[in-house]
Amino acid sequence: MILKVVLMVLCLVGYPAFAGAQFKGEIVGQGGQKFPIAVSPLKNLGTVSDAAKLSEGIADTMAQDLDLSGWFKVLDRSAYIEHPQTTGITLGSFDFKNWSTIGAEGLVKGGFSVQGDEVTVELRLFDVYQNKERVGKRYAGKIKDYRRIAHKFVDEIINQFTGVPGIFNSRIAYVSTSGGRFKEIHVSHLDGSEKFQLTNNRTINLSPSWSPDGRAILYSSFKERAQTLFLFDLYSGKEIKFSPRAGRLLGGKIAPDGKTVAATLESGGNSNLYLLDLNGNVLRKLTEETGIAVSPSWSPDGQQLVYVSDRSGSPQIYVLNLASGKSRRLTYSGGYNTSPEWSPKGDMIVYTGRVGSRFTIFSINAEGGEARKLTSESSDSEDATWSPDGRFIAFSSNRGGRYQLYIMQAGGENQRRLTGSGGDDTKPSWSPRLD
Amino acid sequence: MAQLKVRVWGSVALFIFAVAGCAPSTASKPDTGSAAGADASKSQAGGVQSGATREGATTPGSLDALQKGQSAAAGPLKDVFFDFDRYDLQAAARATLKENADWLKKNPSARVEIEGHCDERGTNEYNLALGAKRAQAAKDYLATLGIAGNRLSTISYGEEIPVCKQQSEDCWRQNRRARFVVIPSRPAS
Repeated sequence: MILKVVLMVLCLVGYPAFAGAQFKGEIVGQGGQKFPIAVSPLKNLGTVSDAAKLSEGIADTMAQDLDLSGWFKVLDRSAYIEHPQTTGITLGSFDFKNWSTIGAEGLVKGGFSVQGDEVTVELRLFDVYQNKERVGKRYAGKIKDYRRIAHKFVDEIINQFTGVPGIFNSRIAYVSTSGGRFKEIHVSHLDGSEKFQLTNNRTINLSPSWSPDGRAILYSSFKERAQTLFLFDLYSGKEIKFSPRAGRLLGGKIAPDGKTVAATLESGGNSNLYLLDLNGNVLRKLTEETGIAVSPSWSPDGQQLVYVSDRSGSPQIYVLNLASGKSRRLTYSGGYNTSPEWSPKGDMIVYTGRVGSRFTIFSINAEGGEARKLTSESSDSEDATWSPDGRFIAFSSNRGGRYQLYIMQAGGENQRRLTGSGGDDTKPSWSPRLD
Repeated sequence: MAQLKVRVWGSVALFIFAVAGCAPSTASKPDTGSAAGADASKSQAGGVQSGATREGATTPGSLDALQKGQSAAAGPLKDVFFDFDRYDLQAAARATLKENADWLKKNPSARVEIEGHCDERGTNEYNLALGAKRAQAAKDYLATLGIAGNRLSTISYGEEIPVCKQQSEDCWRQNRRARFVVIPSRPAS
């Protein structure tokens, strides 16, 4: 069942807003520390009481996102001096000293008003040092979507700091056992909210990945016994089953232009890469392996595929140029390298590599060179996926016992756990930016 | 991360009344409360070729057993085992396949689905391909022993349906296998 939700995003009309200020740089507080920021509970600007606890709910969601990014230190609310319901939310209607005293360099303030099941939210980012407003936005939407509004403003805060919006209005599709014996596809926001189960066929469902427009999820399933791919449209609820005559489909990824699929097709024991249309019909065979070629991932320009081949005697990462049909080997260190994903910026590739008896996440320049190990070999970490801005990586790890999803910055910093379903959560795929 | 410190709180104050580019955007979203979107309208799949037996020995397939919450019971044919990340047949595996071929010769109407399995190490999609290689290697060897190819089919479950679930080499060894499922023979045509 699919419901339609409308989320209107309005710039503040009638309020001054900054524009044209394009800053590029790192987010660093005084002395190179995380940037200290205060996120005040929101002021109720309307006449209806705050039954949904939006005042703290929106502030909590923004604080979680800012903290999860690894760039900000969100100051503890118990230290805040001002009362959010009795002080103003616009420049001049509150005292910056109340915030500089507690060590805040940045301040988020806002207000909301409820009308029926809808809410209007105003949010502003202030520079405590310079006593200035940095940006202001007004959003309108359903009360139940308040977290999405909070995510949007955090994305805007990160845009103000770095010139590139954040990625908190995105989702992760993944495989979860949820404590049972079946593997089903689930979809969730990074903070675990708006989680839903995409499949419920009580078999094995694997390898979810997103269409570039975020509308559809491609996944493989044993639900009709022989493994094949299914393309599920999240908006219409319709699903297309891929039924190529040439063999069985083990996995696939939709091309950046959304028009074709690179898939792994197994026939007679041999697995090769094929180009399919969006109905699952074979357009052409891309590799001629007598062994294993699996796990294709597109370069952002759609000209190349990074994939796994065992032609050297062990699984290694290769790059296929689609125009020439020629492949070049990318990884030379380690005897087991799989599950590559090309970064949205195009410059890097992440993959899973074996170190001793463990599996860890590596990144390597798409042109080749030395691989960089991003996770510890004291546990297993697998199946890395890039955030849509290329600044974060999500992956699955058993460092806490069962496999759970984690997030880290692209260089491996600030590793944080995202899920805890009670089962094993694996195979994350990060969506593009969503509305 | 570079220690480039940028005070991004610039005093750039290009005040505009931010109307341009701010038309309300409308987006529909998947319902977040609903479960089972992809399978909501479908009846339970699977079980098509489940253990329903028309004659003599059949073996439950691993997926059928998983759906019933059972461990896959052994049939008349023996598992064949492989080394980590390998699909070549060792001497012991070839000896087992010879025994299995002998059984198939004594039961000429029996048809077999060969399941390829892997241990949990490594990534799912590669292991699905590896399992397919293992099942095919067993099928090809049975063919050299005189078993007709049309009696044999293959399926790979990769690392998805382990018979042993501990994290130990002894357990992993049991999971790196080709398993032989005796399925009901086709009605005479």
